[in-house]
Amino acid sequence: MPDTTEIQDRETKRNLTPYLLIAPVVIYYIIFWLFPVINAVGGSFLSTSLDKGGIFTLANYKAVFKDPIFWQAVINTTIIVIISVTLEFFLAFGLALLINVKFRGSSFFLFLAIIPMSLPAVAVGAMWNSGLATYGWLNSFLIRIGLIDPSNKILFLAGTHFSRMILIILVDAWQVIPFMMIILLSGMQGLQPEMAEAGRVFGGNRWQVLRKITVPMLKQTIITAMILRIIAAIQIWLIIVMIFGFNRLPVLMEQIVLNIDQYMAEEFFRKGMALSVIVAVLVSGVSFIYLKASGAFDDPGSREGDE
Amino acid sequence: MTSENNKERSMPVLTLTNLAKRYNRKVWGVRKMDLEVEDKEFVVFLGPSGCGKTTCMRMIAGLEVTTRGSIILHGKDITDLPPRNRDISMVFQNYAIWPHMTVYENIAFALKLQKKSRSEIDRTVKEVAAMVKIDQLLSRIPGQMSGGQQQRVALARALAVKPKLFLMDEPLSNLDAKLRVVMRTELKAIHQRTGATSIFVTHDQSEAMSMADRIVIMKDGEIVQVGTPDDVYFRSADMFVAGFIGTPPTNFFPVEMKTAGEKVELSHPRFAILISGSDADRLKNNGQNSLILGVRPEEIKVVPEKDSLLSVEVMVVEPQGSFQIVAVEIEGEIVKIVVGSAGKIQPGERLHLSFVEERLHFFNAETTKRI
Repeated sequence: MPDTTEIQDRETKRNLTPYLLIAPVVIYYIIFWLFPVINAVGGSFLSTSLDKGGIFTLANYKAVFKDPIFWQAVINTTIIVIISVTLEFFLAFGLALLINVKFRGSSFFLFLAIIPMSLPAVAVGAMWNSGLATYGWLNSFLIRIGLIDPSNKILFLAGTHFSRMILIILVDAWQVIPFMMIILLSGMQGLQPEMAEAGRVFGGNRWQVLRKITVPMLKQTIITAMILRIIAAIQIWLIIVMIFGFNRLPVLMEQIVLNIDQYMAEEFFRKGMALSVIVAVLVSGVSFIYLKASGAFDDPGSREGDE
Repeated sequence: MTSENNKERSMPVLTLTNLAKRYNRKVWGVRKMDLEVEDKEFVVFLGPSGCGKTTCMRMIAGLEVTTRGSIILHGKDITDLPPRNRDISMVFQNYAIWPHMTVYENIAFALKLQKKSRSEIDRTVKEVAAMVKIDQLLSRIPGQMSGGQQQRVALARALAVKPKLFLMDEPLSNLDAKLRVVMRTELKAIHQRTGATSIFVTHDQSEAMSMADRIVIMKDGEIVQVGTPDDVYFRSADMFVAGFIGTPPTNFFPVEMKTAGEKVELSHPRFAILISGSDADRLKNNGQNSLILGVRPEEIKVVPEKDSLLSVEVMVVEPQGSFQIVAVEIEGEIVKIVVGSAGKIQPGERLHLSFVEERLHFFNAETTKRI
């Protein structure tokens, strides 16, 4: 049949189109992402750069694991991630529910609520740094409204390790709750109102409707919001450095920056590379475990025989 | 069980008194609703979109706050109760089946919240599932089901709670035309079997006619007429009802009335018709000379020329199988006539017409009310 070759030609052309369309992105990623990643991973296993006769070594990793500050950073990061993401989720969910009922002035409230999100972390850090200083605006404010005595200024930044952690969690929450709220709110607005109404007609009070209908139907949105927040929370550092400085509340990302940028010696630079590989593995690992545990990989149509 | 001839009126199951709903302190969704629904009755709220029929149903369900008036169900004032305490159930227009639950879980939801025993829940779910013919689908999730099947799940869920009042908000309007007619029959059969007092909202007058014990016709947030399908069809309360009910709807002719002894003569530029008997008395008592004459399409007959009231030229013919709808133009107005299918009528043909005199409707030209 003379038709066959022509049909095959057309089909080949059509099949190639998507690959041609994604080619620029793939090339971009190979040059600007894959290459540096290979470089960093490789570099973390070298004693010095290859052209200076570097050889394979685990010394960089050993240096990381022997460093007590590293372990402190792991613990701090873990605590911050768990507490701040949980706190942020519940507050953001509550705010989203509130704005979703569309009370009078809710759009203005929404506008107010998303202001912190538009500020860069450096600005937030600087703002809270000047606010929390002994002669900062927060103390002045508290004195002005008569809540504390001028002789009794609160030393926010000089507190214990624990109080520093609380402070960071609160400042971080202040900044990222809007981000989480927007994601959750858009999920809520995508639900048909009849779903919750049916829940109320068929015997549910508001709490039961929320727990048995709204939250399960928002599952995909919640997973998305949580995974984005967890990844970002593991990488918290700038705000801590802005408020307290390096090594006052060690966290993982801060240690990478410290080793690579602040200490001008190759052994620290290579230790920093090893640390960044560790953090990268950690972030991917945590994300994977979270997605697995939340059932995001499950086929939504595979609930046969569940009675 | 009451006997056939003992037809005294029982206490109404549902009483709406002076019910009204206003949005944002300005827009009236429902202006005034007064209605009594009897036990085991199937009442249909019918009206064009925006007439307030759905708003009214949502107030009965407790999904909208009432602005004024009261709702009494089985002697209990439920006006301000949350939906869950009202002993009602509802079928939503877009089904509102919860996608994260299996069919079984959807139907069992309300029963579980009522803390019914496992065996009782199981029995009820299987019973209602069989009633709507989805007993094979209990373990499926709604995403895998067709619209018709989802509608059946919504129905089963509503039946499972055995409510005092069963609300249905345009439940068939998302189904295709063929399935809609099938479900109509099934719904009626289910109603006859369960005897659940029901309110059904629709904008489809043929759906209302075929299902209702009584039809409540609404317009602009108010009731225009309440009556049996025969009432609203043969004794339409005003021109709105006459023009809304029936496919095709009533034809209207502006006429002038002249008294001619016992009889009255109604004259239209194209015809004049003599009315006698009680109709004539009513028209005389009414006193107004300008009226609107309403004639249903099947009450215009094609007759031999000598018996005819007027002759017209056929504009369009719409064959419907068992009958044909003929459109003609009289004084610039399109008039539709239903004619039997025997004898094919062609466009351009001349027809000689007369009206079935005992079935004419008369309306006040100003108020549009029935005379």
